[in-house]
Amino acid sequence: MTNDKDVKVLLIDDEETLLEYLSKRLLREGFTVKATFSGEEAIQVAGDENFDVAVVDLKMPGIDGVETQKRLKKIQPFLQCIVLTGHGSVESALESGQQDAFKYCLKPIDYEALVETIREAYEKRNELLNAKFREKVEDISSSGLGARGIKRAINELRKTYGID
Amino acid sequence: MESTDSPQDQLKRVSQELLSNKIQLHQTTVYLQSILQNSNDLIFATDVDGVLVSFSKGGEKALGYTWEELAGSFIRDLADDPLEFDKLTKASREKESAVRLELPFRGKDGQTIHCDISLINLTNTEGKTVGTVAICRDITHWKKLQEDLIQIDRLAEIGRIASGVAHEINNPLAIISEISGWAGAVVSDAKGLSEEDREELETAARRIGEQTERCKAITHQLLSFARGSGPDIASFDIHSLIKKTVSFLEPQLKFKSIDIVLNFEDEALPIKSDPKMLEQVFVNLVSNAIYAVKEKGTDQGRIELKISRAGPNMEIMISDNGTGIPKEDQKKIFDLFYTTKPPGKGTGLGVPICRNIIKKLDGEISVESQEGTGTTFTVSIPVS
Ligand SMILES: Nc1ncnc2c1ncn2[C@@H]1O[C@H](COP(=O)(O)OP(=O)(O)O)[C@@H](O)[C@H]1O
Ligand SMILES: [Mg+2]
Repeated sequence: MTNDKDVKVLLIDDEETLLEYLSKRLLREGFTVKATFSGEEAIQVAGDENFDVAVVDLKMPGIDGVETQKRLKKIQPFLQCIVLTGHGSVESALESGQQDAFKYCLKPIDYEALVETIREAYEKRNELLNAKFREKVEDISSSGLGARGIKRAINELRKTYGID
Repeated sequence: MESTDSPQDQLKRVSQELLSNKIQLHQTTVYLQSILQNSNDLIFATDVDGVLVSFSKGGEKALGYTWEELAGSFIRDLADDPLEFDKLTKASREKESAVRLELPFRGKDGQTIHCDISLINLTNTEGKTVGTVAICRDITHWKKLQEDLIQIDRLAEIGRIASGVAHEINNPLAIISEISGWAGAVVSDAKGLSEEDREELETAARRIGEQTERCKAITHQLLSFARGSGPDIASFDIHSLIKKTVSFLEPQLKFKSIDIVLNFEDEALPIKSDPKMLEQVFVNLVSNAIYAVKEKGTDQGRIELKISRAGPNMEIMISDNGTGIPKEDQKKIFDLFYTTKPPGKGTGLGVPICRNIIKKLDGEISVESQEGTGTTFTVSIPVS
């Protein structure tokens, strides 16, 4: 079972009141939550802090949701993005970046469904991350480094992937 | 030059001329008759007073009368607006050539037949008016097509407006929904509340959430109406759908003595259709019924919902004993924006949306009403 406390969620939406209450609810649910009000702000925050799941509004002034999501993934490759789309924009959203997002959800969102989706996204992130980690570890062990070198490399990896 | 013919010759020539004239006349008559019998146009002639003396087969077909029924009647009485027709007649008498106008006639069943009419003043050799001849082309179909096009245009326009509004409303709705969820969560864990108060507040927060869901469903519907997307077909129980719809509307019934009679069995009646769309139809129709009953001010208001099977179709009847709809307005209620309600109470969208939805569900909707007595809407949709 996922411990919600471990799930670091980044929320991005220009609708401030909505974010205020959504983050309060998610916090109360047990998640670790950071709210940002634009794509720009989110990208900045993601430069300093690691997140597991981002919930991004598609339509925002400035950098839109799809673009924000792409840039976030460049900074944090394992971050899973849930993109919120308004009625009718799902198709266009899908065209512009289906592969990159974990899921597209129709707005107005159903809270319970969102919570479920965040948990699934977190699981997905962990799976991907573990697989990649194991792959790297294998690369290192078969690379002929000495025991000490391996240990150091693994520690390096842990840091990179945010695993303690 | 004086003729030198003998009287016999003269007689012979005159009778020959007469014969050829007679043949010509006969030919002309046959020619005219065949036009009058076979043309699809409404062709008529009147005497100087406007009394019909001839009426084509096409005219009989268009208006639904037989010549026997019409002979001797005034043509102006067949016009939708007799005064308008008089004006046309007057204009034709002042002019040498034909006058043309679009003018509606009224058929035997009260239907309107739009005609493109050319009216010609008939004069005798002395230039005195002896009557009128007219050729009218039935342009009702064309007219209908034109109206449909305008309707489609307006529909598209409303589509744009509606989806704009719905989009804007969706955001605050989402916020209300979050806040009610939050309030509910806080109340559930709050200390120092009596159990009774807690329940009260929890229910209130939940209700706000439910009603917001309802609004979301409406904006969603409006958006799909606007974009003309197809129905989402599912299997469900029509009985419980109708019960749910009625319970939605219960708040509107407070303080009024209106009996809502659900005239159907309790057990489930499965149907394959779009439940959300149908719900919207019933909300609209029952809301209208409630309004009509309140408007009448009777203290014995009654709204009945009846379901019956008619072959492959399910028929749902919604009857009320409210104000009723005057005969001449019964067609208009299907027009967009037609409303008799004061601003803020009516949009004139309800019935047209219902018709639109029912069309999408391959069904039919009809109305029967008597002013002062009540109204019945009948919705007929395929069972699967
Ligand atoms: N059950 C009814 N009884 C009497 N009049 C009705 C009924 N249903 C509809 N109408 C008439 O049809 C009009 C259009 O209805 P609708 O399209 O639902 O728009 P609205 O309810 O916003 O006026 C109403 O204003 C009313 O005059
Ligand atoms: Mg209405």
